[in-house]
Amino acid sequence: MLEVKGLVAGYAGSEVLHGIDLVVNDGEGVVVLGPNGHGKTTLLRAITGLLPPLAGQVLLNGEDITRWRADVIAAAGVVHIPQGDLLFPEMTVLENLLMGAYHGPTWAERNVRLGRVYELFPWLKERGGQLARSLSGGERRMLALGRGLMAKAKILLIDEPSLGLAPLTTQQIYASILTVKEGGMALLLADENANHVASLADRVYLLETGMLVRVGPAEELLHDKALLESYLG
Amino acid sequence: MYDTQIVQAVWGGVLFGSVYGLMALGLTLVWGAVRLLNLAHGAIFIVGAYAAYWVVSSLHLPILVALPFGVLAAAVFAYAMHLVFIRPVIGKPGFDNATLVATVGISISVSAAALLIFNPEYKVVPPELTGSYIVAGVQINYQGLLVIGTSLALFAILYLFLTYTRYGMAIRAVSQQMEAASLMTIPVVQTYGLVIAISGGLAGLAGVLLSPLFFLNPQSGFNPMIQALIVTIFGGLGSVRGALVAGFVLGVFESFVEVFYGVAWALPGVFILIIVMLIVRPNGLFGISEVRRL
Repeated sequence: MLEVKGLVAGYAGSEVLHGIDLVVNDGEGVVVLGPNGHGKTTLLRAITGLLPPLAGQVLLNGEDITRWRADVIAAAGVVHIPQGDLLFPEMTVLENLLMGAYHGPTWAERNVRLGRVYELFPWLKERGGQLARSLSGGERRMLALGRGLMAKAKILLIDEPSLGLAPLTTQQIYASILTVKEGGMALLLADENANHVASLADRVYLLETGMLVRVGPAEELLHDKALLESYLG
Repeated sequence: MYDTQIVQAVWGGVLFGSVYGLMALGLTLVWGAVRLLNLAHGAIFIVGAYAAYWVVSSLHLPILVALPFGVLAAAVFAYAMHLVFIRPVIGKPGFDNATLVATVGISISVSAAALLIFNPEYKVVPPELTGSYIVAGVQINYQGLLVIGTSLALFAILYLFLTYTRYGMAIRAVSQQMEAASLMTIPVVQTYGLVIAISGGLAGLAGVLLSPLFFLNPQSGFNPMIQALIVTIFGGLGSVRGALVAGFVLGVFESFVEVFYGVAWALPGVFILIIVMLIVRPNGLFGISEVRRL
């Protein structure tokens, strides 16, 4: 279980998040919905140690991981699939995937895990030797997702998986995330499109100007058209 | 006569090329992975050489025992430099200036320390291999062959290490996308330390292997480092393959100019070649732009 308490985070001189409280239970799909520029990415970066929080706590199964280094947090099973893919451009598709399983105990079973990722995205297998920088936008996103799935995660944090993608690719991406969730994986998904996440979400938080303004079961919040429109426009 | 000149030029060129390559390898590796222009590379070179010299002259042990000791001393020295001077400024604004000043400072301090401890006299580090044979009137010494073989072998080993091993891939990952690497559980700062230590070991090895061909004094690290810088820029900063090819291109070119036009033309010739090359290919022979490293 991932628990965030009173999290304050931001960049030099400008606070972006003003005290976030959030919980993701085991196996639960939690979506943070909010328009661009309201702190979704900052929230995920603060949780996974890329942007050390200014105040507040992040707990993983009760253990305080707030001040841990990003690589140590990842090794503990909090796996972050960042916005904009952040692939290794001069490495091949296969090498990118293998880096996802870098952590010692995971490395030993990298081939089993590769097999599972290939089931979700079979093309990754055929094009393993291709350099990541030569992939299309949709392919890059799938590779980033596949690379994240190579890790042994307790919870997956995914930042706007459909940003800038064509509708067909978007569908494919969310379908594969759903497959992963149905395997029992806990998810924390940041998104700005309520329609995309309906099938994945158990609970929804609405984020506005760095604060969580509403929380509730997905079926309740995602069907409240008037509410969503007022927040997401 | 003509045969002798050709053999002389080729032998000298391949030997120079290996020497250049050996020095440039560590420099280009650190630049590629850490974006650190390590101006202490020549200082680390003499740390290795003096450590080996000390083992031979004070402990009276054979040079083959001193060789690994010199490599290790240089690697440890480089790692200590990382801990004290590089690590505190990683990811901070001003990293470039801080590390440039620090590595120049280390370089000066090491020369001064060597002067105090070993005095300014030229020291003779014994070769690992003695003897030679004559080809077309040119003396081919075994130490030179050892340098060439070691240089080629190290390039191959480093290439295989970076391409196929878990740690090697992690080094490339860190150099290409540092943030993503940390999300893959790769400890970025330790990886930097590993790269700097490997690079230091390579500089130390060069120091021990090359000192018998030249001589060792507190300034001996300077020229090899300048040559390494030239080779690295010629080959494309950060490119391992570029350092290898550039080392041999420059070495052979310099050697041929020397043999056929005289020693006085060697250095100007090399600089003309580099100027022309940088006009044609500003990113170096292997054209590695800002985003393409290792």
